[in-house]
Amino acid sequence: MPSKVDLEVRRRGIKLFQEKFGRLVKRILECKPPTLVIPKRTLTNTIYDERRRLLLLGPEKLRRSFLDVNEAKKFAQTTLMAAIIYEALINNEYPTIRDLYYRGKHTIRYRDIHGKIREENTWDEQRESDAVIRDIEVYLGILREELLILSKEKGKVVGNMRIRSGGDIIDLSKMGHGAYAIEPTPDLIEFIDVDAEFVLVVEKDAVFQQLHRYGFWKKYKSILITSAGQPDRATRRFVRRLSEELKLPVYILTDADPYGWYIYSVFKIGSIALSYESERLATPDAKFIGVSMTDIFGDKNKKPWLSPQEAKNYIIKAKDADIKRAKELLSYIWFQSKAWEKEIKIFLNKKAKLEIEALASKGLRFLADTYIPQKIETGDWIL
Amino acid sequence: MIAASVPTVREEFKALSPAQFFARYREIAGFSNPTRALYQAIRELVENALDATDSHGILPSVKIIVRQDSENPSHYVITVEDNGIGIPPQHVPQAFGRVLYSSKYVLRQTRGMFGLGVKAAIIYGQLTTGKPVEVITSQPGLKRIYYFKLRIDLQKNQPIILERGSWRKSRDWHGTIVSITIEGDWSRAKQKIIEYIKRTAVITPYANIVFVAPDGVVLFYKRNIEQLPPPSKEVKPHPHGIDLEFLKTLKENKNFKTVKDLLINSFQGVGEKTAIDVLILSSIDPSISPSKLTERDLVRLAETLKAYKRFRAPKADALSPLGREIIKAGLRRIFEPEFVEAITRRPAAYQGHPFIIEVGIAYGGKVPMSSDDGPILLRYANKIPLLYDEKSDVSWKVVSKSNFDWSQYNVSLPAQLIVLTHICSTKIPFKGVGKESVADVPEIEKELRLALREVARKLRIYLSKKIREEEKKRRIIVLARYIPEVARNLAIIASNGKGDKVDGILLEKLSEIIARRTGADPSEIIMVAKQVEVGV
Repeated sequence: MPSKVDLEVRRRGIKLFQEKFGRLVKRILECKPPTLVIPKRTLTNTIYDERRRLLLLGPEKLRRSFLDVNEAKKFAQTTLMAAIIYEALINNEYPTIRDLYYRGKHTIRYRDIHGKIREENTWDEQRESDAVIRDIEVYLGILREELLILSKEKGKVVGNMRIRSGGDIIDLSKMGHGAYAIEPTPDLIEFIDVDAEFVLVVEKDAVFQQLHRYGFWKKYKSILITSAGQPDRATRRFVRRLSEELKLPVYILTDADPYGWYIYSVFKIGSIALSYESERLATPDAKFIGVSMTDIFGDKNKKPWLSPQEAKNYIIKAKDADIKRAKELLSYIWFQSKAWEKEIKIFLNKKAKLEIEALASKGLRFLADTYIPQKIETGDWIL
Repeated sequence: MIAASVPTVREEFKALSPAQFFARYREIAGFSNPTRALYQAIRELVENALDATDSHGILPSVKIIVRQDSENPSHYVITVEDNGIGIPPQHVPQAFGRVLYSSKYVLRQTRGMFGLGVKAAIIYGQLTTGKPVEVITSQPGLKRIYYFKLRIDLQKNQPIILERGSWRKSRDWHGTIVSITIEGDWSRAKQKIIEYIKRTAVITPYANIVFVAPDGVVLFYKRNIEQLPPPSKEVKPHPHGIDLEFLKTLKENKNFKTVKDLLINSFQGVGEKTAIDVLILSSIDPSISPSKLTERDLVRLAETLKAYKRFRAPKADALSPLGREIIKAGLRRIFEPEFVEAITRRPAAYQGHPFIIEVGIAYGGKVPMSSDDGPILLRYANKIPLLYDEKSDVSWKVVSKSNFDWSQYNVSLPAQLIVLTHICSTKIPFKGVGKESVADVPEIEKELRLALREVARKLRIYLSKKIREEEKKRRIIVLARYIPEVARNLAIIASNGKGDKVDGILLEKLSEIIARRTGADPSEIIMVAKQVEVGV
């Protein structure tokens, strides 16, 4: 028996399908040409909302008309994917995107203008069906996680917190050396109680494990999360819910390099590729706690956390690709703040980067008991 | 021409030594070797058969039988039967046993070379096999059918009648059956002969043609139009088209007292005033007797006639174009094309010779694929197919890709495209003695190009309409193929359990929407949609 939250999420999804596709059906019954009006998922239609500090889809819309010979197949694919997801919601299923690909893949047999029998597949590769899923998310204005579509689990969480998932109550403080894998349907998670003052998201899984074994979250009353590299959607949604629903401050700890900075920005404002998700995935209040360039090299107001000798030992020479990426970030409007420009300029100047592991090797204690708590305490972060 | 005594068509004959003639013309007449001879003999007989019918208002039925002689495999018996006007029995020995000279004072477009070709065939047969020619003939209105077996006395240029006979007609048959035996080579000549028969069939859709080959292959082309090309009339020559030799022959004519009268009566387009004008320009007294004309007078006269600008344009009455309908029917009969068009241009003239250009075009259907360089070209001169030297012919020059932008007419070569060209003239400007290709005469080239443009324009209109219709059809299929899919999927979301019913309604509505947009019939789209199978 699905949980109450589960049923509630399903009911919402079903209603959305009936509303949006019902309109289409109504048009057809009135003999009007059926058209899907879908926000465009292109880079040029990605805009940064400065007030809400989010990467959002712009106003450009794509009109997918069934009567357009170039769009007819896409139109049919969209209705096909809609029907499959709709049926899965009704039948209390949790399909993966691969399942959806297989469920929809079949052959259409028709006669060409010369009367010859020809065959065409609804789709051939999963790349095609995945694109259709994204279209449906955008068209309905809902995330596939909210339609209970599963993907691989990647993010992990531990902390002084109890949640309900699939009818079980899980105590995130009793995970041993392991951690709770953030499920691909984070909206089905119910927060029962929590005793934490902040959320720390660590880019590196290895550093997460060390902090966990060290008992960081117990000692500093926090929720400890890792995205294990680029965050997946479920981890981002989970962090967003912690921030939004529990009002917990979120700190993000990444490598000191352009990739680390971008991971932070994905948590904070969304990704360019999937900007349509930002509205429900981004955590605009997330703070970049480090490792920052001034932590390594200091500046006129700040003493560096590393001695010149340590800095010399731990930093890695930036590669051409890093430099190029850093210059790209400078062109993004959401990196065009004073603090970030300073950060990136130091990087371009020093041509040096640093991994979090380096701080851990200076001493786990230094990382857990000095660096992180002091930075939080003194407000030494970048927004 | 074999036929002589018909009220409307009368030709004058003059004796000439056939042995002399044949010795001189054996190669030129096309009897150089057994392969060539078999082909040429069939051609001569078929062309005579057609001239004996269509020039006289009779819808032709021509039967050609080529049989291998059982006693001598290199000998072939060629029998050609027509339903033409027949030959008066008293003329038969002369017509087949004596080379005749047809007067050049009148010009009329016919296929045969004044009946010389068939006699060349008879002589060739006689020389190679020793077999005589057999003729069976009867004319409309005669009560009897006449039979002759002849050979030619080459020394005396006289027919030797070996057998003759006659019998009463049991039915109203008229026509001629000629049978000759010659040395030939069927296996080598086969392809060329069949091509000749086929090409002849293309421009004679009004004829039933049966061809029985020695290997038992039978070709039958059934008449598909009951209309004959208008017969040509005899006309006098136009002064622009004559030469010095012709004037010398003319001088011998004793019927006219003065040079002026001779000119007026020997040429078309020359009246009293013009005759005097021309003669004064040539410094000849118009009132002298033709016999008084000197060699130098004739030279000057010939030059003046060529240069004089004020003659009326030559008359085209002597020409016998096929006409648009016949060309179209002919192309249809052989190629069953999806598109066919033809045009007969208005008469024009080159060097004083009138000519008419006709061009036909056939596309698609059973038309074979052309080469990359141009369409398949079927050339005709005075209703005779030209089979060889295609690339040096003025027609090829006009139709080939390098000179005609087919892409402008929606055709991309190679294509299933045939162009037929027919040149009718009292004098075809052949290149060389082979008479297989027509020279680049600017006037003819221009007329050919204008004619081709006109038919090609009609093809373009047809093709662009076809492309539009196919585009529409393709669009319908692209859209209709997804109807069942879309209807089913939307029914799943919209139905609340009444899936099948909603499915059907949506299918019909979607078909109707597509019908409205494409201008097609909704039932047609529903049909296409229902043929689609959506796999599970």
